Amino acid sequence: MSAEPEPSDLELVRGIKAGDDQAFEQMVDRYHSRVYSLAYGVLRNSEDAEEATQDAFWTLYRKIGTFDESRKFFSWFYRVALNAAYSRARRRPAIPTVAIEEYLPKFRSDGHMLAPDVRDWSVAVEDEVAARELAARAEGFIAELPPAYRDVIWMYDVEEMPADQIAETLEISIPAFKSRLHRARLYVRQRLSEVTRGAAQEKVAG
Amino acid sequence: MKKNDSDCHAPDDVTCQKLILDQLLAYEDGSMPESARQDFRRHIDMCPPCVEFLKTYQATGKTLKMLKPRQIPVDLAKAVLSFVRARCEKEK
Repeated sequence: MSAEPEPSDLELVRGIKAGDDQAFEQMVDRYHSRVYSLAYGVLRNSEDAEEATQDAFWTLYRKIGTFDESRKFFSWFYRVALNAAYSRARRRPAIPTVAIEEYLPKFRSDGHMLAPDVRDWSVAVEDEVAARELAARAEGFIAELPPAYRDVIWMYDVEEMPADQIAETLEISIPAFKSRLHRARLYVRQRLSEVTRGAAQEKVAG
Repeated sequence: MKKNDSDCHAPDDVTCQKLILDQLLAYEDGSMPESARQDFRRHIDMCPPCVEFLKTYQATGKTLKMLKPRQIPVDLAKAVLSFVRARCEKEK
């Protein structure tokens, strides 16, 4: 006996539009983890992310009639989820974000570098304890980024969403996605370099 | 300006700036065409600062790979369903 094939997103969408409660349950089952993680990337707090997840599914339930079936469901719904998270974020005191351009590498007027711009700390990632500490710091640095960069690096490097899905959800081109991702990584690299330099100096001083 | 051994000695057709700001991601994700890849490598071979830069950029990538999505709260799906059902009742 073969198992029933899983209904597609579109089949579930049509079920929800027709008032099928089971279709809604299946949709919740399919997407709640991803929506929660997306919201967490924006809000960085479990309680807020949980509430944003509920808001997102409530919007899905109410607004499913407006979903254009020629579009991909996930990109519509991830957009709904991000908006739910942004809306919750706006209710909190604003967290200052960094001016990313100030942290990009600097070059001479001819476009070349002279000496290396930061100390080489790459060996630190070979040590598991040090690497975990760096990862925890990196997560904090991602949170400091302006939302356009933060969401891209969070969705790609942490959530491991495919590039085309992210570009579609954020309604940006693939080159724009890549540019934001690269600049976000350059920022994190620069900040990790500062942290490791500080740690090295403390060791020398201590 | 006199250059030291630790400075960039690559020609100006691919500058460190172009390499780092415009090409590095495509080099790392494998989407760079082979001929551009060769130019990239040629620059790296003559540029100690870019070698160092590449090492820390790759280490940043490894560090980011250690980050995993958050643990999902137990019963989140149930909580979502209860929330939506309660809102539906309220709106009736």
